[in-house]
Amino acid sequence: MKILQPNKPKSRVCVTGMGILSALGKTQDENLQSLRNGNSGIASTKHLLSKYTRTHVFAEVDASNEELLNAAGLAGQAGLTRTDLLALLAFREAVKDAGLYPEQISSAGTALLSASTVGGMCLTQELYADSHLQGTGSPYLSSYACGAHTLELAKRYQMRGYTDTINTACSSSANAIMLGARLIRAGKIKRAIVGGSDSLSLFTINGFNSLQILSDKPCKPFDEHRKGLTLGEGAAYLVLEAEEECKNKKIYAVVSGYGNSNDAFHPSSLSEEATGVVAAINGALATSDLDPGQISFINAHGTATLNNDVTELRGILKTFGRIPPYASTKSYTGHTLAAAGAIEAVYSILCIRHNEMYASLYCDTPMKEFDSAPVSAYTRHAGIDKVMSNSFGFAGNCSSLIFEKA
Amino acid sequence: MYIQDLHCISPQQTQTEPFFSEPLRHYTGNKYIALEPDYAPLIPAGLLRRTGKAVKMGLGAALPLLKKYPDLDGIVIATSAGGIEDSMKFLTQIVDYEEGTLTPTHFVQSTPNSLAGMLAILSKNTGYNTTHSNKSLSFEAALQDALLLFQEGACSSLLVGNTEQFSQHNYNIESLESTYKTEPVDSDKLLKSGTSGTVCGEGAAMFVVSKNPAEALAQISDVGQISSPGQEELHACMVSFLASNQLVPDDIDTLVLGFNGDQRYDFWYSDLISTLFPSQSVISFKNLVGEYPTASAFAVWLSTMLLSGQKCPAEALYKKGMQPPKNLLIYNHSKGIQHGFILLRKAV
Repeated sequence: MKILQPNKPKSRVCVTGMGILSALGKTQDENLQSLRNGNSGIASTKHLLSKYTRTHVFAEVDASNEELLNAAGLAGQAGLTRTDLLALLAFREAVKDAGLYPEQISSAGTALLSASTVGGMCLTQELYADSHLQGTGSPYLSSYACGAHTLELAKRYQMRGYTDTINTACSSSANAIMLGARLIRAGKIKRAIVGGSDSLSLFTINGFNSLQILSDKPCKPFDEHRKGLTLGEGAAYLVLEAEEECKNKKIYAVVSGYGNSNDAFHPSSLSEEATGVVAAINGALATSDLDPGQISFINAHGTATLNNDVTELRGILKTFGRIPPYASTKSYTGHTLAAAGAIEAVYSILCIRHNEMYASLYCDTPMKEFDSAPVSAYTRHAGIDKVMSNSFGFAGNCSSLIFEKA
Repeated sequence: MYIQDLHCISPQQTQTEPFFSEPLRHYTGNKYIALEPDYAPLIPAGLLRRTGKAVKMGLGAALPLLKKYPDLDGIVIATSAGGIEDSMKFLTQIVDYEEGTLTPTHFVQSTPNSLAGMLAILSKNTGYNTTHSNKSLSFEAALQDALLLFQEGACSSLLVGNTEQFSQHNYNIESLESTYKTEPVDSDKLLKSGTSGTVCGEGAAMFVVSKNPAEALAQISDVGQISSPGQEELHACMVSFLASNQLVPDDIDTLVLGFNGDQRYDFWYSDLISTLFPSQSVISFKNLVGEYPTASAFAVWLSTMLLSGQKCPAEALYKKGMQPPKNLLIYNHSKGIQHGFILLRKAV
């Protein structure tokens, strides 16, 4: 098995700004308060139109498209999808938090790496009509592709530098963070704004339901009787800057490790041996030059599917020898797909910044195979300085990131 | 990084050598459809039945290489639309059956990373694996990722490539955006059509790239991009891109440009020629394979042919210069928004 062991880094990659919208709230602070209070965002929906809203719960951002447009100061603008709007709002909070000037955002040394799986496919009826040539065309013709929101962000902020959209399904934004960090470390760019956005859609709801891994009740990560995932939506962006660009700036954390591997087993499930999970975790440990014992907490992928949770814990056990404290915030935000890696990077960094852990919800009966349960209560003064965050996706795409106290 | 081997499925005969011994295929109208190989010897029958065209073409181009080079360190794929037909089939079922009971096959195949995943499964490759899906800068991003992996010392060889299929659904959407020509145009007259719109193509090109220059077909030196520039800004960006590779425009002997016959946008190419590269050879490629978001992967395939000594087919020779190809620059853009450049050199 090959493990990536890049050369020693030249420059530390610092996180200087974060922006986030999820079912837990529309700002970083609102998300933090919900995590501390153990308030899940999984509930009956108010805005989504789907047959399954009668029978299933979801983790919806509590705002209509109209309200999101207003919040973005774009009332009346045509052609913006919910995925675009979530992205624009999270991006705006991130660059403001990092104190970036418009010229810095648009400079050639600033990259944008984003991720979405749904893109404009949240517009089921419009896409159906346009692709079947019913009518003269909706305002969304150029908004459907998963890369469309990236172009929208680049256009709004007049970004000239490197842009990229990564699609490795549920690990997409983890890979966007990884590549942004690698470009900075290699000295190719000074700064990268990295993250992802996905909105709830009939496409993904029906897709996961057809695979029989969509839970009707709130998902139960790492519970023996878990029944599948809850779908959520949201967006998050992080501003990554080379350390020499960060003089007199607040630094939330550094991105110190990353690993990427393919499990090479099955299009929609992970191997019993956890091959890809193990390789991704080992890759992240190797790039950060850390031993497993130095990791204080793992933000698990923890989707609450039968396959993911057992494979993830097996992989952790194989690489760590013992299972360190871990939790899954999918029990708060649902699975936000391409946005999950970035949303959970924000949560991992909040753990470091405030030296605390948030309770993993809805695990009533820990899994029998492991002598271990996720963190069950909000824990302050928890000694958190190095956090691993895992993301695994369809098609075998496994990624692991490590964030450290600056 | 160095191109060791390659395989290409396109609307031209690009799968078996010699490639340009017979006249190129001419197309009339807007659809340039790839000549697909017999997949049966390559892809297990059960899988083949379930697999959509984008993934099939990608497998068809990549599997012969993965058989020859079983120990690659990773797989980096570029695709803008991915399994678009599977996406649209699944979405159509959701609407037509009003969210009834659906089978997951199309959903699983719809995700753009399904090709990279399938290649990993079929070749048991657990190395670095990712998919770039950034519209017309997807392939440029894949090359950047690969260049970085070599620079980091993280690998010694990789598979890098693209897949993009013609899809009637996407074609319909883009027709509503006035992307395509409304009158039939012959491929040999496409670049001089003087009308709005272009033609739609497809294809998959796969490359085995290595840090090792021995017996290489060509070198990919660097890749660059800029979004929504003015023309002067683009020219300045290109000059500084070349300068960062210790080159000036005069050092470039061959340009490979993305002319697509759309009079609204082709001036980006002609103005670049007159401003920075007045005497260089100019090669076109979209009159051979049509326009699609990852068409620059075909441009890299064609450029590698030229740099490794193949004669340029007459249809692709837009303007003849004085020098044989040695330092070659590919420039492609989409509707003046996403602009990418790729620098290739003759392997020494």
